[in-house]
Amino acid sequence: MIDFVFAQVETLEEAASAEGQVLDSAILGEQFYFFTVVLMWLIHVGFMSYEAGVVRRKNVMATAMKNILTIAVVTPTFYYIGWWIYNCNQPGLPIGPNSSDFTSAACGSGIPWSDAFGPNLTNNINLVFFLAFLLFSWTTASIMSGALLERVRLSAYLLLASLLGSVVWILDAAWGWSAGGWLTLRFGFHDSIASGVVHGVAGAFTLGVLFNLGPRIGKYTREGLARQFRPQNLHITLMGLMLIFTGFYAFYAACLVIASTTFPGWANIYLSPTTLGSIAMIITFGFAGGFTGGYFASRGDPFWTVSGGLAGVIGVSAGADVYAPTLGYLLAMATAAMVVYAGNWIEKNMRVDDVVGAVAVHGVAGFLGMLWVGVFAAGYPTGLNNVDSSIGGQLIGMATFLPLGFLSGWVASLVLKKLNLLRVPPEVEVIGLDVAEYEPNLYFPEVAVQEEMLVEPDGTPVVAATVLTKSRDEAVS
Amino acid sequence: MPAIINSAPDCVTSGSGSEAARVEDSADFILQANYQDCAGFGTFMPGSTYGDEGTGAETIYMILTWLGIVVTVAVLVAWVLYENRRLIVAATTFGREAPPGGPPPQPGGVGDTQ
Repeated sequence: MIDFVFAQVETLEEAASAEGQVLDSAILGEQFYFFTVVLMWLIHVGFMSYEAGVVRRKNVMATAMKNILTIAVVTPTFYYIGWWIYNCNQPGLPIGPNSSDFTSAACGSGIPWSDAFGPNLTNNINLVFFLAFLLFSWTTASIMSGALLERVRLSAYLLLASLLGSVVWILDAAWGWSAGGWLTLRFGFHDSIASGVVHGVAGAFTLGVLFNLGPRIGKYTREGLARQFRPQNLHITLMGLMLIFTGFYAFYAACLVIASTTFPGWANIYLSPTTLGSIAMIITFGFAGGFTGGYFASRGDPFWTVSGGLAGVIGVSAGADVYAPTLGYLLAMATAAMVVYAGNWIEKNMRVDDVVGAVAVHGVAGFLGMLWVGVFAAGYPTGLNNVDSSIGGQLIGMATFLPLGFLSGWVASLVLKKLNLLRVPPEVEVIGLDVAEYEPNLYFPEVAVQEEMLVEPDGTPVVAATVLTKSRDEAVS
Repeated sequence: MPAIINSAPDCVTSGSGSEAARVEDSADFILQANYQDCAGFGTFMPGSTYGDEGTGAETIYMILTWLGIVVTVAVLVAWVLYENRRLIVAATTFGREAPPGGPPPQPGGVGDTQ
């Protein structure tokens, strides 16, 4: 009898203990994602500083406002449509057998009118997980932001940011960045920290927009040679990049799934095992390799050295859950070097005026990152079907993401262009967006202003006013 | 005090005064009795009991959600129209006048003659 009572008590204690562990785990997960969200704000502080430093003084306020207002539009649009896209569209298009065999269990709580979107004592994770994805969305939209500086309309940018941040990237994430996405289930597509899902697609989208937006007035000579505009504060640009790098650690961490009461405790987005330490190692070695590759490929140019660090990390993100540190270091170095050459080629040969090199740093590095997994990390079972990662699966993912990103950006910006809503008028571009859009008596910096200069293709600095006025008159006529 | 709009779901019961929830397995359970039958309890939300999350919304919460969607779209359209009007004015102004040589006078800067 006594044994029976003790057995009953032990059973009750075990049950209470198990329930407590589940609650502890849920609250630990809730805190984990919450703090990644807080730290990921630094990415946006960084984007703002980076871009405000790289533009000319006459466009500083317009640039900063654009970054801030990204949050104002992507937040509601992602809430109302983006999370539903991610949770409810993972099977993708019914293009073959088994392509629609998975319906996400999260679909019900992914709709904005679900009661998992309010205080809910049985669901600690949904809202903080949503917020982590929302921060990814801000980041994705902000990647495009820097490329369009100094001539895009604020409203056009906000529309494009909503499309990229709340529809396009999250659709490719549903397909290739979830355990049940069709690219993962059928082809073992593996992009664990979003080389292609975030960066590659954003770069492709940006390229499509740039084709319609055109270069800044005076950027190219009549012969098609590129002039350089001097950044108003390169130091704050570099500091902005360092802030982005800091926030990237949180971005990396937020890409993991935490389940502290279940072995192994950590999983990547495909629910395959990894550890927080391993991805932190790869991002760190990615920076080291990226800075080095960027420095030597650009012959010590500060902008490309620091951008090389970002490119290096992006290049190793897809396989960060499984790479060895040395492999990450070498791949990051190679990626950064290729990105420097790609960035110069895009500017000088394609004559695409990408102010911050986003197409190269994010787009080229992102697609290289997907490719590297196929070459160097094949054979890792990925997704709920445990299909091995392979070069074929990676190429299928790349072939899906490239047109998805590029065409959606190109078509959307073409429509805005036809409506004359894409670009500011030439008169406004030359005088500066700050003068036209904001109160110059109030918001001009209280420091002495030097005459605007630009650098001709042969390296000669000249007063900008003459070149810009002439180019503006040509654009108006 | 009567509520102007009582937006709490039905599973949240009213009644002031501290009263612990009826629970059996923990001495330090902090949930109050008014909430013990309700897992989800956001304003205007349908409310749900334990084990029954994500049940979908009732009419008033659906209306609130759609109101948010409409406002979001309206804001985007307003942004386009507002900026377009300002840029047309600015283009007309700066197309007619010579661009100013710099910012207004400011302490320690260009044009400061004090």
